[in-house]
Amino acid sequence: MNCFEVRQDFPAFWRRELLEYRRAEMNAHLDQCSKCDGAFRTFAMTAPVLHSEHAPQTPAGSGARPREVALGSSARPASSARVNYSEPRRWLAMCASAIIFIAASTGAYLAVTPPAASLSEALTSPREPSMQDLFGPDTPDLSNDLAG
Amino acid sequence: MLGLAASRKFGWRLISKPDEELIAEALGGESSAFSELATRHRARVERLCQRFFSDPEIARDLTQECFIRAYTALASYRKEMPFGGWLRAIVTNLCYDELRRRRRRPEELVGDFSAMEVQWMHLVNEATPEQLVSDAEERRHAHDLAHRLLDTLRPEDRTVLIMKDSEGMNVSEIAQTMGWSAAKVKIRAFRARQALRRESERLQAAARRWSS
Repeated sequence: MNCFEVRQDFPAFWRRELLEYRRAEMNAHLDQCSKCDGAFRTFAMTAPVLHSEHAPQTPAGSGARPREVALGSSARPASSARVNYSEPRRWLAMCASAIIFIAASTGAYLAVTPPAASLSEALTSPREPSMQDLFGPDTPDLSNDLAG
Repeated sequence: MLGLAASRKFGWRLISKPDEELIAEALGGESSAFSELATRHRARVERLCQRFFSDPEIARDLTQECFIRAYTALASYRKEMPFGGWLRAIVTNLCYDELRRRRRRPEELVGDFSAMEVQWMHLVNEATPEQLVSDAEERRHAHDLAHRLLDTLRPEDRTVLIMKDSEGMNVSEIAQTMGWSAAKVKIRAFRARQALRRESERLQAAARRWSS
């Protein structure tokens, strides 16, 4: 790597995006070249702001939560529009509510409904009820007499 | 049914839509479409504001101001430009104006540093590049010191540096965004780097004196 290539790769090196061999080359070059080493140290002074993917977390309580932006009546197209930053949280709450509602509905349905197997059997049975079914097991079977 | 009602109310169906469709819906009076756009781009816009201002409150206020401006100017948006790029132009100009409003002239980098900041400067002088990379991300004072160093730059120099280094924009893109000539952008970038190197060397020399 020459000096130009090394300096081009400073941001990637800072963000740890360089491949391992490239990183080793960079370290070796900075170890030998005092000009590039100085340039990297200057780069490192501002890199936490200019080349970081995110700002460091502020101490707890020092920052307020993002407020909703209420757009004034002059704003178009609708005055009631809001930039709502808490939407994901509301979605999560809605998902949880929906799951609880569905679970409760299913439970209530199963509690008051007879088992599906016996119901379907009763509805689809080809056999007519016998005298014993209607009046108990001690009832004599008179169906043949009645038919004769 | 509940799910359908919820999706209508909270705009779940909007998530999968591209920016252009959401813009068309927002222009048609669908306010939830713009909310989805704001949710989608907020982190990026806020991160850009944080490169201009160390105070998170200011960054958040500017982020919200940016979306208000975008909302009111949505009719002027043209499809030829990505919505993210259009937003970036708004927020950059907003931050530049705020920098100019807050400070008419660049501040001198004063010498009242905290012990942690001095320690970080000492590390910048002495540590290996690998150590610097691994340490800086976790250090709040490295971030603060970087902001103080950038505060010494003129607003236009700082703006050019952020757009060029952080956002990866080229000279013509910066010139178009800021309404400047390409020559001005090049000069400002050169001056910014010069000033930054000068201040940084001063700081490192001071740190060496303190540590010896």
